[in-house]
Amino acid sequence: MKQFTIEIAKSDINATFKEPNDDMDGPVKPRRTLPSKSPSVPNLSQVFRATGPSNNLFKLKGQNLSQGHEQSGQNGLGLSYSSTNLSLIELYNDENGEEEGNESLSASLPEEVGINAKDVVPQQEVIPRQDAGLDDLSHYDRYGFKKQSNYINENEYDGWWKDYSQYCIRRKRKWQSLLEKSGFPMTTEAPDRFPPKSEKLKRYVRKGIPAEWRGNAWWHFARGQEKLNKNKGVYDKLLASLETKEYERRENSRDSDIIERDLNRTFPDNIHFRRRPNESAEPLMIQSLRRVLNTFSIYNPKIGYCQSLNFLAGLLLLFMDEERAFWMLVIITSRYLPGVHNVMLEGVNIDQGVLMLCIREYLPHFWHRIVNKQYSHNNQFLYKLPPLTLCTASWFMSCFVGIVPIETTLRIWDCLFYEESHVLFKISLSIMKLSEEELIHEHGPASKNMSQDDADIEVFQVIQTFPKKLLDPNSIFDRVILKRRISLNNLNQEEIDRCRKYVRAQRLKYKNYADVLGSNPKSNGERNALVELDVVNDALSSEVYGFRRSLTGLHWNNSIKEKVRQIRKK
Amino acid sequence: MLQFKLVLLGDSSVGKSSIVHRFVKDSFDEFRESTIGAAFLSQTIKLENEPDVTIKFEIWDTAGQERYKSLAPMYYRNANAALVVYDVTQADSLAKARSWVEELKSKVSDKDLVICLVGNKVDLCEDGSEPKAVEKEDAESYAAEHGLLFHEVSAKSGSGVSAVFQQIGSKLYAQKKDSLAASSQQRNTVNVELQRPSTNDATSCCS
Repeated sequence: MKQFTIEIAKSDINATFKEPNDDMDGPVKPRRTLPSKSPSVPNLSQVFRATGPSNNLFKLKGQNLSQGHEQSGQNGLGLSYSSTNLSLIELYNDENGEEEGNESLSASLPEEVGINAKDVVPQQEVIPRQDAGLDDLSHYDRYGFKKQSNYINENEYDGWWKDYSQYCIRRKRKWQSLLEKSGFPMTTEAPDRFPPKSEKLKRYVRKGIPAEWRGNAWWHFARGQEKLNKNKGVYDKLLASLETKEYERRENSRDSDIIERDLNRTFPDNIHFRRRPNESAEPLMIQSLRRVLNTFSIYNPKIGYCQSLNFLAGLLLLFMDEERAFWMLVIITSRYLPGVHNVMLEGVNIDQGVLMLCIREYLPHFWHRIVNKQYSHNNQFLYKLPPLTLCTASWFMSCFVGIVPIETTLRIWDCLFYEESHVLFKISLSIMKLSEEELIHEHGPASKNMSQDDADIEVFQVIQTFPKKLLDPNSIFDRVILKRRISLNNLNQEEIDRCRKYVRAQRLKYKNYADVLGSNPKSNGERNALVELDVVNDALSSEVYGFRRSLTGLHWNNSIKEKVRQIRKK
Repeated sequence: MLQFKLVLLGDSSVGKSSIVHRFVKDSFDEFRESTIGAAFLSQTIKLENEPDVTIKFEIWDTAGQERYKSLAPMYYRNANAALVVYDVTQADSLAKARSWVEELKSKVSDKDLVICLVGNKVDLCEDGSEPKAVEKEDAESYAAEHGLLFHEVSAKSGSGVSAVFQQIGSKLYAQKKDSLAASSQQRNTVNVELQRPSTNDATSCCS
């Protein structure tokens, strides 16, 4: 085991050198000349081959590895990143693992590279010179994100990473032995098959998938290959259609305008995405991102382009090739977050309604801070969503990308693809639960004298900044997600699906009532006035959503309780 | 200290967040991440023409894409001021700004709502890197016609940004001063009425 990670690093580099020959005979499709393919995860080289890689990609990869240390500093620009990140993830782990042995690390690297692991931090060596000249790369994490943010300084980051990187190494060993025991012999590549779902595997996923396996694991758990097999060649066709005149004439070329404006506003602090002022060449990641977002906007006209998809696609591209990233985006927006990114954003409003019901059920104290008493007894908050949802809506739209620090985001994504969307609700509730302590600490218990507007702002400020400080994923996972015997564990996918159905029906019903009552409300102002009407009010609050609760093995349903009460009244 | 709620509206990437960050943190990033949903920030200023008056702006910064428009009423509900931003190098962003102004005028019942039209990115025209697509006079006359304040600014250089908030602050203060005077007079009369029963009933409530 001691040697394992080192062997991976070695073989990956060797593989990189060999690959140009392996692929010489493959036809080169035009788009591949701008190598779309996963710049980050080297272990996906198998995938590159399967989907028809370009010779260029591997040539440049090779170039980078041999030239990256020359003083001239001219390298394959963005392309050179492709090989670096692979090494970043692998080497960083090794470097921080005391037992892994740094001597053997340097011995395992090819001669040409000439790294002396004792003298230099590995990631400084593998990153292109031009970057190293302008920035000290120790300021960036293993995915190329800046360690420092407005809420976390670099010392804090380094202090935490020292421990967390050890944790990652320990977890990876556990994964390796799990896979071996399950009859998946470990090779030097990232595994592309995983054992069938089980409580044990779920626990492993919740504790984090090894970073360099994530691309494959997400793809596997989200059943990406199934989707791709049903749609062979679709992505290529979509790409081809981007070139046609028809596309340029399209009415909704508005989408591509907004995409264009958002490209440089996607991870501007990440070395793979950022565009330096005065630099003419566009990073390859940005080119990939443009293609994925534009093809997606044609593929799903109900969504087109929605701001936040840029962050989803951007993060996917750090872990998998362009075609896979595209299909994962399709899966996220249809299976996990149905309707959330649609033109009308109705899915977001439904999910926010569901979240509000969950807060009322699981975080009653917090609930009283955010919802005015006069609305809390009935279902008004399902249409007149509390202002807090302006913040929490973005949690769902971007699946926490940019909301929590990156390692925490990735842990959430691990669970999202394994356990589906209820994870997003659980995490949201967890964040609120944890931030409630800060709220009480900073502002004291909920005050009755405060106006709802002031209370809203107080809560909003804490809820908007608190997640940005969640540097350590375990601070949230250990305390909430991995904890047994907490009521939140009752919240499963079935419950969320049921709840979504209920909220959708309630919102629709409200809309219908409003129509019947003679005015088709266009503004929220009119809408709110309508909601005051008793008739609508009574009709809508007659159905109460009942959460399933497991009490002594029985499911207790609130709506049954409510019905019994109503029968008794009569 | 007076508190006012201010909302930023305008097309995607015209520089709403950049204006706020210049105002609140006096900083600028060439590439700023797109705003998803909303962000809340606050900043306190002293009025230049009324040095005794401090004003706290509670600022709601919003996402610019068309589809987020359905969420907008949540922001401009109870707003005292709105900054409607366009990009001086993008003609269609002024059209979008006009539609925001219309929406505010039709949906916000508060007659005192202060709307300020702001043309951003003038630095790009000054250094010649982009042609100016919206002439100052055109935007200015539109603003005058509709009773809006108007400024051209650069979030990048910072020029004009604080003037926007100073002017909005002064206008809000002037309005508030009038209504404060009016309501304090009102309150006095109300108080007299209230005091009567409370003194009379001092004994009766115990019996």
